[in-house]
Amino acid sequence: MIRTLEQMEKKVLVIKKKHRIAVAWAQDSNTINAIHKAVKRGFIEAILVGKPSEIRKTCKAEGIDARIFTLVESDNEIRASSEAVRLVKAGEADIVMKGLVGTDKFLKAVMDKEKGLMLSNAVLSYVCALEIPSYHKLLFITDPAVIPFPDLDQKVAMARYAIEMAQRFGIKKPKIALIGASEKMSRHFENSVDYSIMCKMADRNQIKNCVMDGPLDIFLACDKKSLQIKGVETPINGDADILLFPSLESSNPFYKGLMLFANGELAGLIRGTEKPVIVMSRSESETSKYFCIALSCLMA
Amino acid sequence: MVLKNMNDLKRLVDGGARKKLVLAAANDQHSLGAVIRAWKDNIIDPILVGDEEEIHTICSLNNYDITGVRIINEPDAEKSVEIAVKMVSSRQADILMKGKIGSAILLRCVLNKEWGLRTGNLLSHFALFEVDTYQKVIAVTDVAMNIAPTLHDKIAIVNNSVDCLNRLGYEMPKVAVLGAVEMVNENMQATLDAALLSKMNQRDQIKNCIIDGPLAFDNAVSLESAQLKGIKSEVAGDTDLLLMPDIEVGNVLYKSLVFFAKAKVASIILGAMVPIVLTSRSDSEQAKFDSILLAAAASR
Repeated sequence: MIRTLEQMEKKVLVIKKKHRIAVAWAQDSNTINAIHKAVKRGFIEAILVGKPSEIRKTCKAEGIDARIFTLVESDNEIRASSEAVRLVKAGEADIVMKGLVGTDKFLKAVMDKEKGLMLSNAVLSYVCALEIPSYHKLLFITDPAVIPFPDLDQKVAMARYAIEMAQRFGIKKPKIALIGASEKMSRHFENSVDYSIMCKMADRNQIKNCVMDGPLDIFLACDKKSLQIKGVETPINGDADILLFPSLESSNPFYKGLMLFANGELAGLIRGTEKPVIVMSRSESETSKYFCIALSCLMA
Repeated sequence: MVLKNMNDLKRLVDGGARKKLVLAAANDQHSLGAVIRAWKDNIIDPILVGDEEEIHTICSLNNYDITGVRIINEPDAEKSVEIAVKMVSSRQADILMKGKIGSAILLRCVLNKEWGLRTGNLLSHFALFEVDTYQKVIAVTDVAMNIAPTLHDKIAIVNNSVDCLNRLGYEMPKVAVLGAVEMVNENMQATLDAALLSKMNQRDQIKNCIIDGPLAFDNAVSLESAQLKGIKSEVAGDTDLLLMPDIEVGNVLYKSLVFFAKAKVASIILGAMVPIVLTSRSDSEQAKFDSILLAAAASR
């Protein structure tokens, strides 16, 4: 079982398969530095789509030899996104990554019905693995980036993506806690209704390979002491692998708070696509960005 | 402890203090027959409220010896119900039974705000069946009273029934929430309510029982059938109480059990201050007698 992001990176290095990453509008130092590190570690080859002159300029400023990258010319960010997606679709790359382009423009190319990378009828969502020094293992959370207010079907899809990712980390039957403000079921709280339904779906093996419970608050999900104090019986037992959040506005501040105040690092990935899609916010640390690339190789 | 058959119900009340049963609009042959038999069997002490002349006529025609039975003469049926209900609310009687009067009128009196038998709980119908093909008696609710119960109503119906089963000696009755399938299906409200009821039970929001659902009828009453489907459940195959999704399903099941499976049935209304025997004219005298037995056993 992989317990840290470094262990995940090691696992990727052990696989020794070089994945080809197409990066859309890869002109900023942030992206190029993270890509460069992964290329140097030897687990990826990078195709940078953008203005070659700009890319070379950035590389020079960062002291990076631009010749280690394959450059594909494109004159604007929208066309660069489409081109990066096309490269993956055509089998010339395995993974697509967002550079200095707006997330919405980039995802539009990914979600294009004909030329995009969506699995048919799939829900587009985001799962990330958080490493928090004060927690005894990685904590997967979903969805802090894509779906603002997931409905029941979307929550089920989110759960399945997170379970699938946790399994890649060697957790055979991940414990997934469905997060709310309280552990009680109330028909006035739609999320607690959805969660109760999901738990029954897990009981009936309609959601497979997990131990699921919710609603639970984060204390009950991740802290055994709180469990004893509150006297709530839950198979999660204060040892959650996955936290499923009711909304983007609850999950996003949760992970950002941990990054800022608890020295957290993350590796996250878009789910619901044929091939891995990397989207990172510019404010993420270079380490996290590097881990995102490693994660995409693990999931490829 | 579980009840194997109606004789076990008899054993529950044997030797106990006789309950006072007040029969409203007592000038009814079938009701009188059952009441007098229960009186002779030392299960109850009857009080007959109704047209005294008619009561005596019926009794002499049928050779019912009612020497020593208290009779309150009230030729007006509706007024006799009022007298009977007031006797219960003033604690002069432990069980209310309907004689020759429409159910609607009796229930209106039961729900009277000044002198009725309201407790704040929903009234619900509770039926107990003895079927040769099941290992014990099986309780079914609600087959006659609540037409299309909401989740909120279902909680009240379960609570009424569990309270009754607890009094019959079941410490943790097994409650199956019936659906057409055992899977959660968003298009079938019964399966969603079942999931919510299960979760509320897990969180101790519905106490003193074990709830599982949705369960299809076969999974609920046949362990073999549940195992074939791979259902892991404490309830499946060993159900004590079946919760119906609505009155259509409940009523058809009730009548199929009686007509096709030759089930013995006893039924009472729960949720009022005392159990109410409210059998219909089409019920056999045996069913009426067993219902009195059930009311006596369930009475505090």
